[in-house]
Amino acid sequence: MNHGQQSGEAKHEDDAALTEFLASLMDYTPTIPDDLVEHYLAKSGFQCPDVRLIRLVAVATQKFVADVASDALQHCKARPAPVVKDKKQQKDKRLILTMEDLSKALREYGVNVKHPEYFADSPSTGMDPATRDE
Amino acid sequence: MKRRRRNSKLKLEESSDQSPATTAEFSFSLTKIAVSQICRSVGYIATDTSALNTLTLTTTKFLQSLAELASSFSNTANRTEVNLFDIVNGLQDIALSTSDCFPGGSTVHDIESHCLIKSAVLRNLSDFVAYAPEIPFAKPLPRRERDGSLGGDLDQAPVTRSVEVKSVPAWLPPFPDASLCSERCIKDRPDHLWENSDSVIGREILPESLQSKIGGRLPVRRERVRFKMDQRDWSNSGDTRLERWRDNRDGESDGGVEVKKKIREGYNYCTGEWPV
Repeated sequence: MNHGQQSGEAKHEDDAALTEFLASLMDYTPTIPDDLVEHYLAKSGFQCPDVRLIRLVAVATQKFVADVASDALQHCKARPAPVVKDKKQQKDKRLILTMEDLSKALREYGVNVKHPEYFADSPSTGMDPATRDE
Repeated sequence: MKRRRRNSKLKLEESSDQSPATTAEFSFSLTKIAVSQICRSVGYIATDTSALNTLTLTTTKFLQSLAELASSFSNTANRTEVNLFDIVNGLQDIALSTSDCFPGGSTVHDIESHCLIKSAVLRNLSDFVAYAPEIPFAKPLPRRERDGSLGGDLDQAPVTRSVEVKSVPAWLPPFPDASLCSERCIKDRPDHLWENSDSVIGREILPESLQSKIGGRLPVRRERVRFKMDQRDWSNSGDTRLERWRDNRDGESDGGVEVKKKIREGYNYCTGEWPV
């Protein structure tokens, strides 16, 4: 009897938490706009008039992208920095999202991105002008 | 050896010469803006173009796969509209493959969890909403008009939804304008026969006087035709109406008897019996 009352109270608390979370979605503005999410959902046969559920999907997607990006950032920070004389320039150029970091981050989420290691229009593209003639 | 890398700064404004041509390109470029905003919030200052495109594509695939999972769950439950349970189930399925993003994906079927908020995925999202800073989209989007159609739809001509029909799902495109349809019907209606149309190759153009006679129209006054069905069964006696008529006409002449014999033989042959 006592156990039943406790489980009933816990259920009420959970219900209240769920209601509160759904209500907070009305005030929260996700980065991905509602209309854009609705467009992609409608393309896949998702039909729902409730804005809160649309925002829930938007929040889930935003969290996914943020997690992937932060993982890629960790890969970027963990990579040994190239030797550059100007320290200020080095600091600015470090935090750049590259395919190398992104593919490593996405692999942890089950997405295998394959990209060519290096792509250039001609063999001399990207080489140092001093060493090009050699 | 130095490697020169072309980096694209996080540009929030699209240049005018790269304006998207289709709805897909437009939605992709909007998603790209949102993804670049999220990247900036994480701490990046710039992205490679290919990396940004790849992350945007992954985002759209994530959205679509979540939508497909949720709609398949709702369809399995004989519903057309998706509810919270379907979305959470879809998120759980995704969480199983991406455990880093949504940990605890296998706890939704726990007997102790009476409520959906017990789902670890939903709790993570709740914490994200509570603690993550709000980053609104950089640009205002064209809002929906009152009749439900988008203001700046690129592919379709502006079509108004005149009457809301409950049986038609909301995601289907609206019906075309009824006034245009009725005009077209009126134009095609007046007794235009297919054989007289220009699409028929080798059609002979007849004068109007002949066309009125041949053109498929029956004369207004015609003879009345009457049919009388005799429902009596003549098959048992082996006699037909044709025989009786010929009997009446020719009397008991020899020719009539021969014809009668032949018909009877033929009849017996048709029914599978050999003449006696």
